[in-house]
Amino acid sequence: MDYSAAPGLTGAIPAVKTGVKRKLNVTELFTVKSLRVLKPYMFLLPALLILGFWLYKPLINTFYYSFTKWTMLPGTKPEPVGFANYLKLFGSKDFGTAVKNTGFYIVMLLPFSVVIPLILANVTNSMKGRMKNVYRALFFFPMIMAGVSTATIFRWLLNPGTGLVNILLNKTGIIDGSISFFTQEETAKWAILLITGWKMIGFSTVIFSAALTGTDKSYYEAASLDGSRKVRKFFDFTVPLISPTILFMVMMSILFASQWTFAYIDILTNGGPYGTSTNIYYEMYKYGFSSMNVGMSSAAANLFLAVFGVIAAVLTTVSKKLAFYDN
Amino acid sequence: MKNLSYKTASAGKHLVLILTCLIFVFPVYWMVISSFEGLGEIFSANMLPKDFTFDNYIYAFNNMPIGRMMLTSLIIAAALSVLQLTTGILAAYALSRFNFRGKGIITILFSLTWLIPVQSIMIPNYVTIIQMGLKENLLAVILPYAASAFAILNLMQSFNAFPKALIEASKMDGDGELKTLSRIVLPNLKAPLSSLGILLFINAWNEYMWPRLVMTKLESAPIQIGLRSFVGSDVNMWGSLMAATTISCLPIFVIYILLQKQVVDSFVKWGIK
Repeated sequence: MDYSAAPGLTGAIPAVKTGVKRKLNVTELFTVKSLRVLKPYMFLLPALLILGFWLYKPLINTFYYSFTKWTMLPGTKPEPVGFANYLKLFGSKDFGTAVKNTGFYIVMLLPFSVVIPLILANVTNSMKGRMKNVYRALFFFPMIMAGVSTATIFRWLLNPGTGLVNILLNKTGIIDGSISFFTQEETAKWAILLITGWKMIGFSTVIFSAALTGTDKSYYEAASLDGSRKVRKFFDFTVPLISPTILFMVMMSILFASQWTFAYIDILTNGGPYGTSTNIYYEMYKYGFSSMNVGMSSAAANLFLAVFGVIAAVLTTVSKKLAFYDN
Repeated sequence: MKNLSYKTASAGKHLVLILTCLIFVFPVYWMVISSFEGLGEIFSANMLPKDFTFDNYIYAFNNMPIGRMMLTSLIIAAALSVLQLTTGILAAYALSRFNFRGKGIITILFSLTWLIPVQSIMIPNYVTIIQMGLKENLLAVILPYAASAFAILNLMQSFNAFPKALIEASKMDGDGELKTLSRIVLPNLKAPLSSLGILLFINAWNEYMWPRLVMTKLESAPIQIGLRSFVGSDVNMWGSLMAATTISCLPIFVIYILLQKQVVDSFVKWGIK
């Protein structure tokens, strides 16, 4: 950037008689020195404006909306109602179910985001050569797929009557008839869980692999060990060594389980049947855009922003301690 | 003897891993296979189509505005990755190069954004888009995501690792900051920049929740939203639906096959941010 023009301004402006004092301040602002002070902010301005306007401002709006009643209809305005939305939320049976399901997804997703990937990363880590990367590339494959494509494929695979899974279950004599995986109470949330898990395993595996590669190789010269010793070695050395990464994946899984399941719930079950597969984010979406109840949606959003914020803070602190002891 | 048992164990391990890989790849394989099967075959459990047909693709193209939806998605993904890179480069350069008042707070504001789910901001942003008259407009998807805190933090790491001496040398030559950035810093960071660009492109291509709210009409919808409306409609056109889904995945598949290592690496960074 060329600032050599700036001093020229200083000479030009005092010629204006009215408001000389203010103009002088402006010219001072444009001296080379103050430009140097302003420079970092100018670089940051686009990002700050965008994130401020589309992320932090709406966060404040949502906070305000949670204490109002509003339908978003043109010509209407939010009316203050105090804590009514929060109270309604605590009394709502639907929301209770959604919270319970969210807990189900969070807990049941952990095997897919932590346990299985840890095993896969450990098994492939001791391998040499090309096959290691081929396996990891294939494990990772589902992660790059769009949620919509994934949902579409599984809707076809699990289609009642004509889908491959039902055909195979019938052929092998495991069932007689047809399972409507997405519309039966016993199966809907399990189907959502398995699809989400299918997509997440590879991502965590690659993260754990990266962590294992960063650790001392001498711990893993265990190829000649028999099975039981290998398992011991895994728990005695590997797990403590990469515990910060494990904790990080646990945190990601807890915080994002509801995000990851959202698209499948929305496309495959609509939260049904009878709310058995819904989660909190899907309920917020329904409050806002189906029932047009902005207040309830915002109250739920704030509540869980706080809950997840606390969880993140606690886990980050623990993780920092672990990383410290690791060093 | 010991060698033999070791070999068996190794072979067993590979067998288990190959089966695991099948679980990950098979659904995608089934999508592609189904898209080439005619009505007589699609409802069978054949693992390979006997009669290879393009009918599903022809039907899909004739009945869904696939070309336009793909173009919409392409414009959105390209615009978002370029904008996020640009705003990210500028912001990250400032954070890694200068010391200034408020730096700490700004960095914290950037790092905290990953805790904010779209559900916490969707209603106010939806209202803003309506007020701006941008619903069904490409800008409705592009404007709110023109900056990415993840991109900024990711680039900050790259910039911090960049040798300060090179920047100082450029300053001695009398170059301004933008010139230093574009002539010295960026050309030397092509690899991390392209990795990040790929990741941003894939994420933008796959984006679902926000476009679903502001690009609802079929004429304006990106491919993910368009596809969703066809899954929703309860017709039994599985072949053509699989054809459309395959097409929607193609750009991502091509990127992954060509640049597999970079894609995986950038996702790892995304996780470890």
